[in-house]
Amino acid sequence: MNIKEILYKTLIAGDSYKTLLKGLGVTVQISLLSVILGTLLGMVICAMRRSRFRVIRTVAAGYIAVIRGSPVLLLLMLMYYVVFAGSKVSATIVAVAAFSIHMSAYTAACFYSAINATDAMQAEAARTLGFSKWQAFILITLPQAAKIAKGTYQSTIVTLIQWTSVVGYVTITDLTRVINNIGSRTMEPLFMILVGLLLYLGMAYICYGAFALAERLAILRKGRRRGA
Amino acid sequence: MSMIRVEKLSKSFGSLQVLKEVDLTVEKGERIVIIGGSGCGKSVFLRCMDLLETPDEGTVFIGDNELTSPKADLNRIRRKVGMVYQGFHLFSNMNVLDNITLAPIKLLGLPRAEAEKKAETLLEMVGLLSKKYMMPDVLSGGQKQRIAIVRCLAMEPDIMLFDEPTSALDPTMVGEVLATLRLLAKRGMTMVIVTHEMAFAREIATRILYFDEQGIYEEGTPQEIFDAPKKKKTRDFIHKMKYFFWQIDDRNFDLMQLQGNIRSFAGKYGMDEKRTNRLQLCTEELIYEMLEQHGQPDAGVDMQIQISFDERDRCAVIGLRSRGVQYNPFEADTEDEIHLGVTILKNTAKRLDYRFDGVNNYLEIEL
Ligand SMILES: Nc1ncnc2c1ncn2[C@@H]1O[C@H](COP(=O)(O)OP(=O)(O)OP(=O)(O)O)[C@@H](O)[C@H]1O
Ligand SMILES: [Mg+2]
Repeated sequence: MNIKEILYKTLIAGDSYKTLLKGLGVTVQISLLSVILGTLLGMVICAMRRSRFRVIRTVAAGYIAVIRGSPVLLLLMLMYYVVFAGSKVSATIVAVAAFSIHMSAYTAACFYSAINATDAMQAEAARTLGFSKWQAFILITLPQAAKIAKGTYQSTIVTLIQWTSVVGYVTITDLTRVINNIGSRTMEPLFMILVGLLLYLGMAYICYGAFALAERLAILRKGRRRGA
Repeated sequence: MSMIRVEKLSKSFGSLQVLKEVDLTVEKGERIVIIGGSGCGKSVFLRCMDLLETPDEGTVFIGDNELTSPKADLNRIRRKVGMVYQGFHLFSNMNVLDNITLAPIKLLGLPRAEAEKKAETLLEMVGLLSKKYMMPDVLSGGQKQRIAIVRCLAMEPDIMLFDEPTSALDPTMVGEVLATLRLLAKRGMTMVIVTHEMAFAREIATRILYFDEQGIYEEGTPQEIFDAPKKKKTRDFIHKMKYFFWQIDDRNFDLMQLQGNIRSFAGKYGMDEKRTNRLQLCTEELIYEMLEQHGQPDAGVDMQIQISFDERDRCAVIGLRSRGVQYNPFEADTEDEIHLGVTILKNTAKRLDYRFDGVNNYLEIEL
């Protein structure tokens, strides 16, 4: 059997590509929502971790430790079969919730250590000029922390996209599930696995590309302002 | 109206009381220099004046505003107080120009063009206009510190606080930062400076505060504090800072150790190799000249060496006090080979002085 026939059989026949795209869509949807919500929640947890009050700090530290210590699949199953068992909430929403929580613990830890790695005295110097605590944070600490956090944050996102491949366990038909289905239906599992790998790889590189682009734009904007 | 008024300020960290009921009033145009041993609370005091540390008790007024009042608008009051740290702390995510214009633009609402023009004028004043687009991390320590000063000046502060502005610098860069401080002094800036540069303190201060025992232990004009300190701890401190001391009471004293200590003293004040060698050589010749040429071999030796170094004109003075019969080595016959040391001294020193007070010979040479 030549490659053309395999391609036809697996991707074209019976509108397989549509199913594949749908699965890809589900994976992107869950990943994107989880990254956004997880990052927002992570910021809150990070802020709590830096709170003036010891109780809040301890709660945040505990949250980070527990979530990072538990496998995301178990977290997902716990949410699906226990927390939301019997409720009308869709499996996708449950998955987004589980991955958001997972993501939030990792981003909180990443942001927290990045902020700690900045020179606190620079923020203090800003305060002596008359900036408020918040202004000093936004203008001085945050840009420096973002630069430090960037690498870890990026790989956290890519890892999260890969981890979403376990949502099949809670009845969601995502990219991995579709790959698996088509592979067994057409008896071409190896080929489909390769297709799947390429698609996940593609998503990872789109993610890295987006960061690189954002960085370029920021530099350009800065340069324009300087008129240089 | 006073610029800063501190009343009954106390501050502790846990069980460690650092400051106890300190009072200080700084008038417009005054230049206060705070000196004192390590850990005596100079930094904490300075930080309390900008409320970077919250005092346990007492009040701080900046002009008419009480900084310690719960209703005080700290951010607004702080605009008028500049703070310069030992470690510069320039904003590492911005270039030099942005470091300087950030606060004027964001806080005073200055248009960017105007803020940049002002920044350039200030940069020119400290001789760093060519660095305006550089990032802080490529600058030398001395350059960073001058820019940190300019960053404060851009807010047109009424008072500036300096916490050891030259302590983190290579000796070769201390001068450029001190020159900037002199410039501010000339423009009538009210300043409070913590420093270990004693010669500079003496030159620039209108008033010196010596900190010890949880507060201002003694204060006065530079002349009063440096030349005639009244209290014992001040005296001890002043002498330790300014001088290198060495007592000799045995003919077989440890020359190597003495030379080593002179070398580290010279290093501390940034003397170069040539001067250090000369200092060592002259000290040695002076000692041996006095040991050999006067007093009986069995008489006890009582000699004291003090070396002082003036950072202003960078001249070192070696003083030697030797108890015994009157003997002036500088008048010795230099044709005589035994007095080779004297010839060396005469050729090296800028000035040679001799005095005898009936008990002690006092020799002084300036390099
Ligand atoms: N945030 C803090 N927490 C606890 N102790 C502190 C704190 N800041 C200062 N101290 C202590 O207060 C004392 C005074 O410190 P300070 O920094 O004012 O000394 P200093 O006079 O500036 O000394 P140096 O010449 O070494 O800079 C020291 O014993 C120091 O350990
Ligand atoms: Mg200090």
